[in-house]
Parts: sequence; structure tokens; C-alpha cells
Amino acid sequence: MVQQLTRKLLSGMALPAVALAAVLGIVSVPIQANAATLHMAWSQDATGLDPHKQTAFSSLRLLELIYEPLVRVDASLQIVPAIATSWQFSADGKELTLKLDPKAKFQNGATVTSADVKASFERILDEKTGAAARANFLSIASIDTPDPATVVFHLSQPDVPILTAMSDVNAAIVPASEIAAGSVGTKAIGSGPFKLDKWDPNAKEVLSANKDWTGGATGVDGIEISVLPDETAILAALRTKQIDFALLNDPLVATLVPKEASLQLNRVPVLAYHVLQLNPSRKPMTELKVRQAISCAIDRQEVLDTASLGEGKVTGPLTIPAMATDPSQLFCYKRDIEKAKQLMSEAGYADGFSATVIGATGEPPTAAAEAQVIQSQLAEIGVKLDIKMMELNVYVDAWLKGDFDMAVALNGGRADPYTMYNRYWTKTGNLQKVANYIDDTLDRQMQQGRAETDPARRKAIFADFEKHLAEVSPWIWLYTSYSYTAQQKNVSGFVPTPTGTLFSLSKVTIQQ
Amino acid sequence: MTYLLRRLAVFPLVLIGVSIVVFVAIRMVPGDAITAMLGTEAGLLTPAQREALAAYFGIDQPWFVQYGRWLAGLLHGNLGISSTYGKPVLEIILERFPLTLELALLSMIIALVVGVPAGVFAATHNEKLSDLGVRVAAMIGQSTPNFVLALLIIYTLSAGFGVLPAMGEFSPLWRDPLRNLGQLILPAITLGCAFAASVTRISRSAMLDVLSDDYVRTARSKGVSARGVIWRHALPNALIPVVTLSGIEFGYLLGGAVIVEQIYALPGLGRLVLDAILQRDYALVQGAVLFIAFNFMIVNLLVDLAYVALDPRIRLGEQ
Amino acid sequence: MRMLRAIFAHPSGRIGGFIVGLYLLLAVLGLLGLTPHNPLMQYRIDRLHAPDSTYWMGTDLFGRDVASRLMMGIGQSFIVAFFSVAFAALAGTVLGLAAAWFGRRWDGIVMRVMDVLLAFPAILLALLIVAVAGPGTWTSIVAIAIVYTPIFTRVVRGPALSLKAREFVDAARTFGSSSSYIVTRHLLLNLVAPLTVQITLALAWALLTEAGLSFLGLGTQPPAASLGLMLSDSRNLMETAPWLMIFPGIAIMISILGFNLLGDALRDIFDPRMRRALA
Repeated sequence: MVQQLTRKLLSGMALPAVALAAVLGIVSVPIQANAATLHMAWSQDATGLDPHKQTAFSSLRLLELIYEPLVRVDASLQIVPAIATSWQFSADGKELTLKLDPKAKFQNGATVTSADVKASFERILDEKTGAAARANFLSIASIDTPDPATVVFHLSQPDVPILTAMSDVNAAIVPASEIAAGSVGTKAIGSGPFKLDKWDPNAKEVLSANKDWTGGATGVDGIEISVLPDETAILAALRTKQIDFALLNDPLVATLVPKEASLQLNRVPVLAYHVLQLNPSRKPMTELKVRQAISCAIDRQEVLDTASLGEGKVTGPLTIPAMATDPSQLFCYKRDIEKAKQLMSEAGYADGFSATVIGATGEPPTAAAEAQVIQSQLAEIGVKLDIKMMELNVYVDAWLKGDFDMAVALNGGRADPYTMYNRYWTKTGNLQKVANYIDDTLDRQMQQGRAETDPARRKAIFADFEKHLAEVSPWIWLYTSYSYTAQQKNVSGFVPTPTGTLFSLSKVTIQQ
Repeated sequence: MTYLLRRLAVFPLVLIGVSIVVFVAIRMVPGDAITAMLGTEAGLLTPAQREALAAYFGIDQPWFVQYGRWLAGLLHGNLGISSTYGKPVLEIILERFPLTLELALLSMIIALVVGVPAGVFAATHNEKLSDLGVRVAAMIGQSTPNFVLALLIIYTLSAGFGVLPAMGEFSPLWRDPLRNLGQLILPAITLGCAFAASVTRISRSAMLDVLSDDYVRTARSKGVSARGVIWRHALPNALIPVVTLSGIEFGYLLGGAVIVEQIYALPGLGRLVLDAILQRDYALVQGAVLFIAFNFMIVNLLVDLAYVALDPRIRLGEQ
Repeated sequence: MRMLRAIFAHPSGRIGGFIVGLYLLLAVLGLLGLTPHNPLMQYRIDRLHAPDSTYWMGTDLFGRDVASRLMMGIGQSFIVAFFSVAFAALAGTVLGLAAAWFGRRWDGIVMRVMDVLLAFPAILLALLIVAVAGPGTWTSIVAIAIVYTPIFTRVVRGPALSLKAREFVDAARTFGSSSSYIVTRHLLLNLVAPLTVQITLALAWALLTEAGLSFLGLGTQPPAASLGLMLSDSRNLMETAPWLMIFPGIAIMISILGFNLLGDALRDIFDPRMRRALA
């Protein structure tokens, strides 16, 4: 009612503007000259073209359309072929053999061979490249190329998750010739479904179908991606049919899409998780009981309901559907203020304490809201939180230095729990200085999980890991949200996946 | 003439000042090109990897060495290479500038065409109902944040009428003037609203000032018609504050209108600088700020010259 | 006291004075915690509640009472606006007068430094101050003050140059008046009119700039409220909960109307010629 009224009022106000525009005849809704081009929009642009270096969400989404890794994960997170058609671990888990697709071709016409695979991984492992993904491939001792279509990875220790790590576009195969020429990152030459014709950073990308792609013909002739920094503007462009397909981040905007008859919202729970990171190296979070009290005092469902309008699911540390435990089985996932208060007084903080929580402005868009709900919830056990929202880079800088009491974060997930958490919860994890908590149990469970090849036993190991992690509460895992794409109803064939990949755009078609 | 030459001679000095301040300032803000590219994944880098990336981005040396390098490049007319665009900084800026200039000019035209007559009208009807009406209208224009106005315009057009100027790819004026105007008119109105409101208020106030001045009264007593007094005698003198204000606002708009460019997805200078700051593209921030500063000085010089034209008694730079 | 009476006698002064007075009252009540509800209390079952008899202006995403937060926000916004404009006006007037009066080299140096400041992106400036001092109220105040100082400098310098060339200054000089006497007595007094208008304009700008800074996360920190923060927070809820944008928007408009009307009245009262005319 109120909404209708305001809509009417607003339209009344804008009449002069519309009249003006109409008289001048300049408000133009472009008729798509070539309907086989998919017009797409997103709010943040890719930051670069080197698949081994770029880690930003948008960069990965763009590069996945141009480059291919050895394998991919599908919508149910199972490993499926990409450049490699088959793969085999040796019995001791220390040798991985992959067969390459003989028809796979780079966009410069050259066939993808084992030499390219070897060169690509050597580039990732070379410290001079500065590839963050190197950390996932440290167990590679040597790479053999018995023939152009076979590659053998010799591992220094059993490493089952390495195959999942290879499904990442950060482990994409690039032409050995481009590596030698030093032109990876300036020219985008992959073996994927689309070629990059033009990139105007922070403005637009133009992609055209790669006719030689081994995956078969693409459903559209090309994709034009526009950067519209404001998501309400993206929604407006969808409403006026200027664009066919869009990526949305903010649940407040995404939830408006289903109200439009001509639009469809695709959403899928993702692997990334919203979390309140405590810093267990700072007092009083050094105390197990204080951390547990915080865990008990937080109503995760309410954080989700408020900050993300309920768009998501409360989660424990493991977000991979096949691995995750039912959150209600985990420590204090049902809010228990009495228990929290008792834990606080046992730890000697019956009167509570003060701390600062940091968050990045707009990254995720729900960060400030999450911090405020948590602040209000923790106030009930006497914890006085001071919120500091920071520009993303300033936040990242503080985060990497471990310079915070608490932090609200949206951390990326992986299709394998070891790849996802090895950086935080092992004794040698690169991000131990951020996590600031480790115990023997966690480290042992992670090492077991890395070596175990039997899926059922692996699942059991990680279930114990998850239970223990929730109990020692270095962080308070909150919820996983959805990844959203919005599209016109005449677009079909898009399959959203938990990794957020847009790879299935290769099979999307537009009905006339 | 000598005054002009002297003013121009100071330009390089000011620009060097700007460049040093920006150079140091942007490096004092936490985070760098590496964290901007990798985010929290930067934590996975080994020290050797970090060094390799720092060398790649040219941030591996102390700031004064970097500055020396940059200054040496500048002397050869080279503002450096942007790390995000992989292109020369000057080229990127010159690509963006026409849009910003056009938008600034359009907004200023809207502001002056609406604002000055409204201000004069209000001043000549001081404290009457019509004066109050103009003032209230100016107040509304002035008090609506431009992001609210932009969002309202976009929402009403798209949800209410199903129309919207083409978002995304921007058409330069010389390629498709109609489409170009279609893309710029709403942003220009958005910016022009507040600008016009300020112009209205300033010209009203200045006009009131001048109208009470002796020489205007003299002119009046000599039998010059009311309209003649206002337009021929009073207005030129009342224009000084208007010129000052318009100059500042225009200068600001030449620096880009960040929020309006964001919402209308226009690739102008404002977004360029914001993105460059957020991506810690030091060379680009540096070059863009320098360019904006240069524009400011040109605009201010023109404003000062306009003072002399409007009031010949003012002699610039002389005791 | 005489001042108040003068304002009251002036038609726009009456309305403007009333509005500003009302806002000050609301701000004080807000700061004292005398609001309909606790502005920080999250009534979780009433999230995004439309305005009704319990919540006069509805509730926000967290179920906080918008009316109470508006009172809190007015206090916060006024503090930022008043302090930043006061600093900028003071610094700008001194610098602008100095530039105009001493002329030549001084003029050049001051104005070129102002050019540097004007050219410096406000966002970078704010980021820098935040990096050094942390985000918060004072960051906004300092950032806005630095941004507006050059504007005041230019606004003062222009008319001051023009006044300096006028007959009465020459006359004062030939009568042997000291420089400081001429500057304060003749220049400054004659500048009061443009300055008051500029100050009321700047107050409006400061309220809006604070909104821009909050929008970028560099201004008022949650859960505190400012009019600007409330507005920028409401942007993606514009369709779902329009009251979140309407009420702070109207509050900003009316406050700016109040500033402007009061400013216009003060201008008339301070204007020496006007006084002459009235006398």
C-alpha cells in the first residue's frame, strides 16, 4: 500500500523529466541489433588478465570464460573433465596421472599439450610469478610429460585435495609460448569457450565465441559485459531490458528481482561463509571460555535474518554440502544467554569487556549490518563492541597483520575442506598469523584429511574437525549466503553453482 | 599581460607541490597494489613472491626513489603506466576527460540559465511571496543529495515508465551526438539542480547588496528605468560572487562527479580517480590529480580575469 | 538579546529561527536520550516496520525506531556541520583577507596553496585522515573543513579585492587609518553579508558531504546515526521501505531551509547599508 502510494508519488514528480526527455526524443532503449549477443552487467570489474595472479571474484568469473583448468567442479562439486579427460591417483596418493583432451586447442590455434601443462604449473610454482595459488601446489615435487597427451605429477606427500585445487582457474593452463614471451596477463589466450576481444577496465568487456572450443558450440555468439557500479542501476537496466543477465551482490537489491514479471532470479548457496573472526592472541579472547561465551551469545539466525533478509543458511565451519554437519549438532548453535553469562563469569569476566570489531565497507554489502546485530547481541553479556568500518584495502592490511580484536568477514570457500582451511588451521598455515589459534587436534585432523583417499573416511575426519573447531571457537561461523544472478526470462540454460562460476554461460541461449 | 605570464609561470611549481603531496599521501594510506589485486589471498604469498610483485608494480623502492623515477619520466612527457589499465596514464585521462568536460559544461549551463534569472527575480521581489517561492525551490534543490536525486530519477524512469538512457557503453559526442546527449542529460540535471540552487541564492544575495548601493540609487534618481538599472548597472557588479561560485563549482565538476558517475555508470574522471585510489594504482592517482589540479588553476585564472572584466577597478597582483 | 529581537522582527528570521531552534531542541533531547525509543535498541520482531502509532517514522533494517534515530542523527549532523564550517570559515576568512590585503606575493602563495587543496580529491583526503586518526566524527569535521577552507578563501578574497579598490578605503587610508583598522572596520564589515550567505550554503554542503563520507564508510560510524548516514543506508531499501529515505530526506531539507532563512535574515541585520536604511 505504502509502496504503491510512493510509486505513484514518485512518478508524479518525475513527469517533467520524462516529458523533457520524450520531447527531445533522446531516452533511448537500445533495440538489440544482434540478439545472439548476451548483454551482461556487474558492479565490480575484473582487475587483471593473468589467470595465475588474479584472485578477485570478478576476475575469476571473467577468466573462467577464457581459460580452462585441467579439471572443473560441477554444480554438485564433483570433479568433471576440462582439459584433462581422465585422472588417476597412485595407490599411495603420491602420483597423479592425467590424460589430456587431444582436441583441446588454444585460441591461437595451437594444441594444448603436456608441455603447456608443465610450463603452466612451473610458472605458478616460480616465486617470481607471485601466484597466490602456489600455496596449494607445494607438494608437487616434479612433473613428467611421457607424451603430449599425458602428464604425471609426482608429489612429495600424499595430497588428495590437490585435484580440487587444480579445478581453480588460478591453475589454468596457458600456452608455454606465451609464458616464454612473458605476455600472459597482457594478452588473454586460453582454451575456453570465449575469446576476449576488448577490455576497457572498469567500463566493459567484449567476448566472442571461440569456434574451436572442444566443449562444442556456445549458445550465444558473444557476451558484452558492462560495469554498472551501482546495483540499483543494474536492476533498472534489467527492468528496461537493456541487459539480459546480471550478477548481483547485495541481497537487498536481489530480493527485488522476483517482483518483476519479466525477470528471473537465480540463487544458489555458495561455499563462502560470513564469519565473526575473534583474535585469540588478544585478551580476553585468549580464554577458551570467553570465546565460547561469545559463540553462545550470538543468535546466528537473527544475524542472517537482519543483515541478509534471511537469504542464506546458518552454517558451521564446513560449507561443502556433502561434508557439512547439521549445524544444530555443533557447539552452542542454539543461542544460550545463561550459559554464555556463566562461561563469562567462570573466565573472570562477569562484568564483560570492551573490544573493537572491524569490517570492510561494502565488502560484503552486509558487513556493517552484521557488525551492528552482533554488537547488540553481545551487549547482552556485557561485551561492549566498538565498530570500525574501513575501506577494503585498509581492512585487508589490518586483517593480514592480525591487527584486530574481532573482524566481520566473508571468507572464500573451496570445494575441498583441506584446500579451504589449510591456510588457517594447520601449524604451517600461511594465515596462522591471522587465525592466531591452532591446537594439535586440528593440525592432526587436517593432515589425516589430506592423505586419506577413501571418501567416507575423509568425511568422518572432517566431521570431527568441524565439531572440534566449533567447540574451541576461534571464530564464530555465522551463515552462508546466496550467489545471485538475475536474467530476462527469455534467457535459458544458466546453471548456478556453489563456487559462483559463470562457466555455464557457455551453454546459455536467448529465445527471440 | 605580465600578470598572466607570472601566473602561468607558477603553474609548474604548484603542480610539483601537488605531486609530492599526493605521492606521499597515497602511500601513507594502508594497503597497496598487491592487497588491492589479491585481497586477503595476499596472505598466501611468500616473502619472495611479495618482492616479485612489488617490483612488478614498481613499489619496491623507498618513496623518494620512486618519486625521482616518476619525475624523470614526467620531464620526458611521460606520466607513467597505470597498473590496472596497462596503458599510459595520460592516454587514459584524455579518454575520460571529454565526458567530464561535457557534463560540467552542461550542468553549469543549466545552473546559470536557471539560477541567475531566478536570483535576480527574487532580489527584485525581496521578502514578497514570490521571493519566498524561489528561495524554497532553491532550498529543495540544494538540500537533495545528488545520489538521492539520481536514484529517484532512475527508479521512476525505469520502474514507472520502463525507459532509461542507455547504460554501460558511453557514446562520445562526435560519434553519436543524440545518444550522447541522452546519456548525459539526466546526470547533468542531477548535478545542475544543486548548482542552480546555489547560483540562485548567491545571485539573489549579491543583487540585494548592489541594489542598495549608492551608485544604483544615483542611476535610479537620474531616471534610468528600473529594468535598465537592474540589468545594465546592478547585474554586472552582482556577478562577482556568482562568478566566484560558478568557478569553484565548475572546477569541482572538472574533477569529476564521483557519485553521479557511479550511479549513471559514466566513465568520467571522478570514477577514474576513485577506482584508482581503491585499486592503489599510484601512477594513475598521481597523474589524474595532477591533471585535475591543472584544470583548477586554469579555471581560477579565468575567474580572476573575469573579475577584472566585470569590475575594472580591480587590478590583480598589484599593490 | 537585541540580536534575538532583531531576528524576530525579520520575516524570514522568524521562520528560520524557529526551525533552527526546533532542531537544536531535538538535537539536545536526542543527546540527552529523551527520545520516544532508545535509538540503538533493536526491536527484532518489528524490523522494517512501516510508520504507525508506535513507530512514528517506522523502523529500519534492525528494528530500530527511525524517529528516535533521527533525533540522534540531527545532533550528530549538526555537530559535524557547525564545527567543520566554523573552522573553514575562520581559516578561509583570515587567508582570504590576507591574500587580498597584502596582494602580490602573498596573494599568489595563498591562492596557489588553495588551488592545491581544491585539486586534492576529498576521498583521498578523508582516507588519509582516517588512516592517521581512525574514522569518526572528528575525521569528518577535519576533512570537510579542509575541503571548504579554499572556498571561503576565494569567497572572501574576491569581494575584498573589489572593496579594497573602492573610494572609502582610499579615503580611510588618506585619513591615516591603520591597516588593521581598515581591514576589520571596512573590509570585514562589508564582507559579513556574503560570508553569512556562504556559511549557510556551506552548512548545507557540509550536511551533504557528511552523507557522502558516510556513504564511503569514512564518516559517522554505526550504530550511531547522522542524517547523511541514514540517507545513504536507505538507498538499497528505497523500494522496500521508502520511509527510511523520506524522513531523513525531509529532515535535511527542512534544516537547510532553516539555515538559509536564518542566514538571509542575519545578512540583512549585519549589512551596514541595510542598517542605515532601517535607521
